[in-house]
Amino acid sequence: MSTDPVLVRLAALAPAEGPDLTDRLFDGWLTTDSLLGPVRVVCTRDGISFLRTTADLAEEDFRAAYRRRVGRPLRASTVVPDDLEAALHGDATARPRLDLLGITDFQRDVLAATRTIPAGETRPYAWVAAEVGRPGAVRAAGTALATNPVPLLIPCHRVVPSGGGGIGRYIFGVSAKQRLLAAEGATGVGR
Amino acid sequence: MSTPTEAAPRADPDGERVAAALADDLDDGFAELVRTYQGLVYAVALRTTGHRTDAEDLAAEALLRAYRSLADHDPAWLRELVPRPWLLTIVVNTSRNQVRDAARRPRTDGATVPDEPVPGPTVEDRAEQAEVTEHLATLLARLPETQRTAVVLRHVTDLPLTEVAEVLGCPVGTAKSHVSRGLARLRTLIAETGDRP
Repeated sequence: MSTDPVLVRLAALAPAEGPDLTDRLFDGWLTTDSLLGPVRVVCTRDGISFLRTTADLAEEDFRAAYRRRVGRPLRASTVVPDDLEAALHGDATARPRLDLLGITDFQRDVLAATRTIPAGETRPYAWVAAEVGRPGAVRAAGTALATNPVPLLIPCHRVVPSGGGGIGRYIFGVSAKQRLLAAEGATGVGR
Repeated sequence: MSTPTEAAPRADPDGERVAAALADDLDDGFAELVRTYQGLVYAVALRTTGHRTDAEDLAAEALLRAYRSLADHDPAWLRELVPRPWLLTIVVNTSRNQVRDAARRPRTDGATVPDEPVPGPTVEDRAEQAEVTEHLATLLARLPETQRTAVVLRHVTDLPLTEVAEVLGCPVGTAKSHVSRGLARLRTLIAETGDRP
């Protein structure tokens, strides 16, 4: 222990206690049920940031995927965000808060346009591209939807090819897309 | 970014445990790292930025950078990591980047350069102590950056010289010289401002 008064005073400059940064650094994940069965969901302090079915990604892969996408650590959580469970069971009035991280402005626009498509209806990829002011970017719009961080909550399953090209791809597979559209009563798809 | 090195003479008692936890599970290990070092990270951030709000932002930003870097490495690397100096290197570099970025854009709030007193303890009956602390913090903020960092690491957070050298990216002898010059400059400033030591 130094008796040099300057050194003693310097040592006293260390704050007795600092803020706990854990809540600020860690996002929480939980498992809940949906129209497509169990899903894992990540919530930041600002909203839901990631969702995948447990069938699509095992826990380890889910955490790794989130780490690659946004580079933030995860911890288990038990706090279910408002409206999440209702939205995952098809309640169109339930609009949980979203926090879309690590995406481009174009992806953000595509996802925002897609979120406006009502249940029971579908839109072509070309509609989404036109809606975001990039009518030539149909393929890019499709790519943006294929990496949708929050499927079901942003209904990318309601976007289909125009003119008889089937119902198109889906993150969780074509049959899941068919089931969702059928459950919503969407007509004229898949012919 | 520094690489893992041999443990210092006054080795960090938590280093091996945190490194093992990181190698075992990155997210759980990172939670352990945050619990173990966030007080130290905040202390260095506070005495580098000079502002509590900036210090909290800097600490959080540095820890997230650390997480992203950890995520790029395999468990074998993580197990060999000496976390304390590695982490503080990121804090110091993050702080430098922020100061540099702030210098490049117009100042709007004056909150990024450590030229104002840091608020001391808030409890009223410690006001006098707070005043003395604030004054020393202000003088510390007037040291050249490397000397200030050296003095903070060595004498505020009590790091061994080997780790101070690792964080500064220089030989131990050079680190020692930064600390002594910083201290000498601080003593001069104390004398000049008429402050009793």
